[in-house]
Amino acid sequence: MSGLSLHKRLENNAGLLVFGILVVSSIGGLVQIIPSLTQESLKTPIGNTQVYGALELVGRDIYVREGCSVCHSQQIRPLLAEVKRYGPYSRAGEFVYDRPFLWGSKRTGPDLHRIGGKYSDTWQKVHLINPRSVVENSIMPGYPWLAVRPASSTGNIQANLRALQRLGDPYTDADILEAPAKLEGLMEVDALVAYLQQLGTGFDNSMADNHGAEH
Amino acid sequence: MSENQQIIANEYYHDGVVRFLVVCSMLWAVLGMGAGVYVAAELIWPEIDFGQFWLSFGRLRPLHTNAIIFGFGVSALMATAFYSVQRTCHVPLPTLRLAWVTAMLWQICVLSGGLSLLAGMNSGKEYAELEWPFDIAIAIVWISFGVVFFSTIACRRIKPIYISNWFYGGLIIVIAMLHVVNSLVMPATLLKSYPVYAGAQDAIVQWWYGHNAVGFLLTGGFLGMLYYFLPKQADRPIWSYKLSVVAFWSFTYAYIWAGPHHLHYNSIPDWVQNLGMVMSLILLAPSWATMINGIMTVSSASEKLRTDPALKFIVLSLAFYGLATFEGPMMAIKSVNAVSHFTDWTIGHVHSGALGWNALIVFGTFYYLVPRLVDAKLYSVRLANIHFWLALAGTMLYVLSMWGAGVSQGLLWLSLDEFGEPSFSFKDIMASMPPYYMLRLLGGFTFFLGTLLMIFNLVMTMKGRPTVRVRPPKITATGEAQ
Amino acid sequence: MNGTRTNTDTGPLLLRVLFRPKETFEDLSRAEPSPYRIFFKYLVWFALLPPMFAYIGGSRYGWDLGAANPLILAEIQLRIVSMLYFFVLLTAFVSTAFASQWMSETYGARKSLGVHMAMVTILAVPMTVGSVVHLYPHVFINLLVFIPVLIWAMYLLYVGLPVALNIEPEKGMLMASSLVGWLLVGFVTLLGVTVALWTEGLGPSIGA
Repeated sequence: MSGLSLHKRLENNAGLLVFGILVVSSIGGLVQIIPSLTQESLKTPIGNTQVYGALELVGRDIYVREGCSVCHSQQIRPLLAEVKRYGPYSRAGEFVYDRPFLWGSKRTGPDLHRIGGKYSDTWQKVHLINPRSVVENSIMPGYPWLAVRPASSTGNIQANLRALQRLGDPYTDADILEAPAKLEGLMEVDALVAYLQQLGTGFDNSMADNHGAEH
Repeated sequence: MSENQQIIANEYYHDGVVRFLVVCSMLWAVLGMGAGVYVAAELIWPEIDFGQFWLSFGRLRPLHTNAIIFGFGVSALMATAFYSVQRTCHVPLPTLRLAWVTAMLWQICVLSGGLSLLAGMNSGKEYAELEWPFDIAIAIVWISFGVVFFSTIACRRIKPIYISNWFYGGLIIVIAMLHVVNSLVMPATLLKSYPVYAGAQDAIVQWWYGHNAVGFLLTGGFLGMLYYFLPKQADRPIWSYKLSVVAFWSFTYAYIWAGPHHLHYNSIPDWVQNLGMVMSLILLAPSWATMINGIMTVSSASEKLRTDPALKFIVLSLAFYGLATFEGPMMAIKSVNAVSHFTDWTIGHVHSGALGWNALIVFGTFYYLVPRLVDAKLYSVRLANIHFWLALAGTMLYVLSMWGAGVSQGLLWLSLDEFGEPSFSFKDIMASMPPYYMLRLLGGFTFFLGTLLMIFNLVMTMKGRPTVRVRPPKITATGEAQ
Repeated sequence: MNGTRTNTDTGPLLLRVLFRPKETFEDLSRAEPSPYRIFFKYLVWFALLPPMFAYIGGSRYGWDLGAANPLILAEIQLRIVSMLYFFVLLTAFVSTAFASQWMSETYGARKSLGVHMAMVTILAVPMTVGSVVHLYPHVFINLLVFIPVLIWAMYLLYVGLPVALNIEPEKGMLMASSLVGWLLVGFVTLLGVTVALWTEGLGPSIGA
């Protein structure tokens, strides 16, 4: 069987084997990833989607640091029950400034993609410090340290913004200069609440396409 | 004797580094499974973080996953790769010092990486949470792992490369590719970076990485372990050479495409989702081909099961491998995924593979390997048998409770009442979960207990005994091994 | 002794499996039962009890999923679901008997379908007995009862298979593990198919 005799040659030659593995394992990635990197609709913001302001970016970095996406998703699927429960389903154009993406893989808590504006700032703060004070049987951990750490201590906001600017996000040099002032006097919990309150607000229902949810 | 023959006569396989890695793997098992039990308890009693950031669920969970995959899993893979590549090439590791450096640096990377997670350094990408300084360190150590492994193959005294080495080789090459591409970031400070990808593009790249970390690390690498240690333990050759060839290449090809099944009904193009679904279904074939190969190899050697607890573990691990590689493609079907995504069913699936396949085959391999490393009998066969039943019970409890929880969640989340509104609030649905979570905690704890028994058993086997020195077979004048 | 003792009515077989499982398997190892007799005399009735209990419990109390008030299904839906439960159980038992017969070649076990059918029937006893919990259809409580039931059935499988099929314990262990694999895969398939059909609209409507 000529296939097997070809393979005998591969088995006797480490270099060929390595090359073979590399080629065979690259194909899937190239086919699936390259088009997505060039597809315009995955890179174009829709509706009112904007870059994160300084305070909101600090809030997002805290969200990542504390591992919030381990329990909360940010991806409303085009399924009827989901749209009814959470709001319009998530569009790719809403996530163009999300580095990293935070769609999540598990819902131990509810989806947060359109949580912006659904609860008051006060409710959000109280809930973050001790969830059980506002949601009775919640198993969410509390984050009391957020209330005592200044937002400016989370990281270096100017360095962060500069990195994002280098990656192509539309921050001006003025944005970067003014950023520390925006954090003055505010705690980490304020930053996180600012991030949460803008979640999903970039999308305008009038932009919804005609067929809506699939199921 | 000629000088060459004299050199060969004084040669021994380098198994000291193997023993070191086995011990490290067991330490990580304690830490990783202990963390797992703790976070499982936190999902029932959230107050047990005592308001401390370093006990917070969101930081402990990645510690658990990293300690298990990169600590327990990779250490076991390195140990068995170094052990088996020497013996399948009939040559000691030509770069011994580099092997020790690799082994030790890896432990430092994982340990310091784990601590960094508790401190809050987190890239936000699953199974790639470590920030960029660690990504670079890991890449360097991984390259040295590759050099040790492939240099041994290059110096081999047998011409054909045995199949276990194809899988270990695939592990090294593909993980390197995945890690480099997925970890491309723009650093902002030493502690923080942002991915070069954003939004939907980041999602596609992340799950190309994430699924194939499962595919080539947790599946492929451990298949390398299987293909070496199973024939050794059963004292039989692999049942079908042809099947293993076909299975290896179709596995390496198909697995890569399956990533998008983590993103069904998410905001990525439909064609990518559908491609992921179809290839995930196709993947069932090479996975089961390997399982059948393993089972048929063992079935002709069943009398060994009487005296050998290690073989029992491997047999059971094959059954769970079959289950997990069947359940995976099934959950990759969009209509099933509509119910399973975001639920505890996914967690159940992960652990049927992680506990039932990965952990169990490591246990079986260690029970075989450790007594041979020190040329002694296993300290207690009885304890090993007890461990077997604890491991089985723990895995079943875990999987069944998560199936119950996950299917309930999925169906209840999607149900609409006669007005077309969600029938149940999210809160109420999750409030019915604690009983399932208790069962899961019991299952995980039982499994952990079994693991501790094994560690005691193996430590008592190794205590006070040096690593035995084994010579490679002598090569005769005609080039045959004696 | 031989087949003459295993043929009166369901009662003694059920009780003998419960209290003297080893003897029952030993009897089976010497018997050559007809698959049709096993099916119609025992298996059909064992498979009937769980759906019957589920129907009674479901119509009296409604299914409690823990999330809210118990769900009362429309009468016709409850009947259809109960009948489907019966057919699924029957299919599962019969197909497992065939699978076991198919595996007997590899493991050197006895080959007659009747023996495999009888062995599967014995393994069905724990589930039949445990299904009485369906009379109070609370999902979690049912799960709690079915886990020991499962453990018990698996114990019967591992202990009884080598005896009934006349093979050494080690080969029996391997064959039993293969059957467990078959059952796990079958169960997961059932889960997936049910869920897939449900999301396509073919399923009871819950939530009222």
